[in-house]
Amino acid sequence: MLVEQELIEKARGGDGGAFNEMVLAYRKRIMGTISRLIGRPEDVEDVAQEVFVRLYYSLDQLRTPEVFEPWLYRLTVNASYDYLRRARRRNESRMADLSEQQVVMADFLASGRRDGDERHKSQVREFVDALFQHVSEEDRLLLTLKEVEGLSLKELEKIYRVKENAIKVRLFRARQRVLKAFNRAAADGNL
Amino acid sequence: MNGESKLDQLFQTYRAACPDVEPSSNFMPRLWQRIESRHSFGFVFQNLARTTVTVCAAVCLLLVFLNFVPPFRAGAVQTPNYTDVLMAEHNAENTDYTEAIHGAIEEPVSASPSR
Repeated sequence: MLVEQELIEKARGGDGGAFNEMVLAYRKRIMGTISRLIGRPEDVEDVAQEVFVRLYYSLDQLRTPEVFEPWLYRLTVNASYDYLRRARRRNESRMADLSEQQVVMADFLASGRRDGDERHKSQVREFVDALFQHVSEEDRLLLTLKEVEGLSLKELEKIYRVKENAIKVRLFRARQRVLKAFNRAAADGNL
Repeated sequence: MNGESKLDQLFQTYRAACPDVEPSSNFMPRLWQRIESRHSFGFVFQNLARTTVTVCAAVCLLLVFLNFVPPFRAGAVQTPNYTDVLMAEHNAENTDYTEAIHGAIEEPVSASPSR
């Protein structure tokens, strides 16, 4: 944990200074996770603030400080999911067409510049985002937490409050869908 | 390298490709603003909810009270309606008819001993 349990207890008791310290300790990590979950850097700060507002008002429901991090991740996933739903309702979500992404990827690979450059990073992001279009938003979040954020099944179990086996099954199915799209792109010679 | 491991590698590249988002300088002031605004909204909502509950409870008590109070007999002071008049006339007719029969029967009985 990035903060002492004592600090969490103080924040639970209504200490504004302790809450400030907690936010300062976690905000960068949470913003990074949100950035990968929603894929829109311009809205990351807004969603992160929503997470901490929800944290402020739900701290008294936290049973023990030991479960603080899964609790915070849970709030992060929920706030990101709410954002994605709102964005979908506004028709603002980026529904990138995989075939277009494949062309972009092919162009990039043809140019022969692979490492360390911003264009390459941007294309990788767009390509993975396009692959994620093949799964639901819930599965996209789950896959990102597992495969990109590197959370363990045990941690996911605590965040989602469901049995590990249920998460395994859901992850497997989502990964298979993404893998199928990935293999199709590879078969087309774009990888 | 098979598809599975290539996908794993792609996810790792993706993680590295995602930019680190730095919080802006007014992150904390804006956060506290949002907390305060939600707090004041919550306060107004709580007050509104409490008032509504009180009014509802008062209306419920009033209805219960009215339910147990004997109902006001409005018909007692009002003028009789059509059915009341009809019933009264019907009763009057019955009375006349009975009296007439009664008289007709009684007359010969009382007259016979005198003959």
